[in-house]
Amino acid sequence: MVFSIAYHFLQNGAAAEEVAQDVFLELFRSLPKLESGAHVTFWLRRVACHRSIDYARRRKNAAAEVSWDDLPEPSHGRVPAEAPADPLLSNRLRQVIATLPEKMRMVVILRYQEDAGLEEIAKTMSIPLNTVKSTLHRAHAALRDKIRASVGEGNL
Amino acid sequence: MKRIAIIVALLAVPRLTALAQDWDPGGALKRLDAKAVKTIDVNLDQSMLQFASAFLDPKDPEQAKARKIIADMKGIYVHNFEFDKPGAYTEQDVAAIREQLKGPEWSRVVNVRSKTDGQNTEVYFRKEGDKFKGLVVMATEPTEFTFVDIVGPITPEELRDLGGQFGIPRIEVDQNAAPRKGEHQ
Amino acid sequence: MTDKLERELKKALERVDPPLGFAERVLARAANEEESNAPPRAWFGWFPAGGLRWAMTGTLCAALAASGIAYRQERERRGQRAKEQLMLALRITSSKLQIATESMQEMNSRLVHQP
Repeated sequence: MVFSIAYHFLQNGAAAEEVAQDVFLELFRSLPKLESGAHVTFWLRRVACHRSIDYARRRKNAAAEVSWDDLPEPSHGRVPAEAPADPLLSNRLRQVIATLPEKMRMVVILRYQEDAGLEEIAKTMSIPLNTVKSTLHRAHAALRDKIRASVGEGNL
Repeated sequence: MKRIAIIVALLAVPRLTALAQDWDPGGALKRLDAKAVKTIDVNLDQSMLQFASAFLDPKDPEQAKARKIIADMKGIYVHNFEFDKPGAYTEQDVAAIREQLKGPEWSRVVNVRSKTDGQNTEVYFRKEGDKFKGLVVMATEPTEFTFVDIVGPITPEELRDLGGQFGIPRIEVDQNAAPRKGEHQ
Repeated sequence: MTDKLERELKKALERVDPPLGFAERVLARAANEEESNAPPRAWFGWFPAGGLRWAMTGTLCAALAASGIAYRQERERRGQRAKEQLMLALRITSSKLQIATESMQEMNSRLVHQP
């Protein structure tokens, strides 16, 4: 979970491992304060989120390593009505997710990797519930638009 | 008014698309909720249905049937209201919902009223062209109102299967029947 | 928001395991930090560094395992709850359709027996 959150957020294995190691080291120091297995999970998720965001901010260009050169050119009206399924869609989605603003990116990761509910996301990220809702809504629109622009209408 | 509200909601994220999903037709459900002494709300969108399906026991006959029924469903939204006495909710409350079911995509295929106990059940199908997109069941009783919204390609035949599961007789639906006089189509 | 996009997002964001040796590297870092922060050995001569490492290893392994177990338990709990709600929804729907069926059968029966 911890490594995966950091990996999907930073899109970089080495950076994700550094963050994940930091999180577990902090866990070791904080263990006496944690009360239960569920608390540990919540704590790990929360610290992984914050550490990943901090890491990205310290290395601002790390998240912008995604290159749109890797994505095909938009087909500008020549998309067939029924575009074939794209086996690389997952890769493209991950690349597109990496270009989202940090908080939006983390909301998407918590929602779809961790299957977290909105209230859970709000508590994990210490942001209001309404902010989570609006952020997720904007993320959906942004992802849809970017993916359609790169692979055409048929895939989503 | 003393009120016991038992609300069981499992809606992760409101997913609004062109299809009817967990919609509150005309705000009527909120008004009914305000008058009810007991409410059951079950909101399961497609992702929750798929998630729940993974936990259904294939060895249990009822759960195996459930799995088959929900295989292509995109959502099931059930709102059940109990009231403390007859007349607590009115025909106007229900009429507001029927207004939302008057579009060309809706067909009422069942409208059964029992004069002995005042129960009335209506079943509406939603179609786009030849494709079934969902159905609504409305059941009004003196102290209870139920609104079921099923989203997805459920056909009259599958409705028959739903009626035949969970220990109740099958429902016969003639999808070619002309509407009776005065009945909305 | 399309359902297909959500499905694809879940696929794209499936959990990724850390690379091999991750746990060992975490423990090694933890042990190094502990040693560099430890007071002079004279004070802890009776507590071998190896023993401390084993204690930390056990604690961190337990924590790593606990987070996985807690996740699975939570998923199981949510899944069972979702299943209960689904069965409730289907039973309510079936019971309301039953009312329609019984009434229709009653009406048909009266029509059949009319002179």
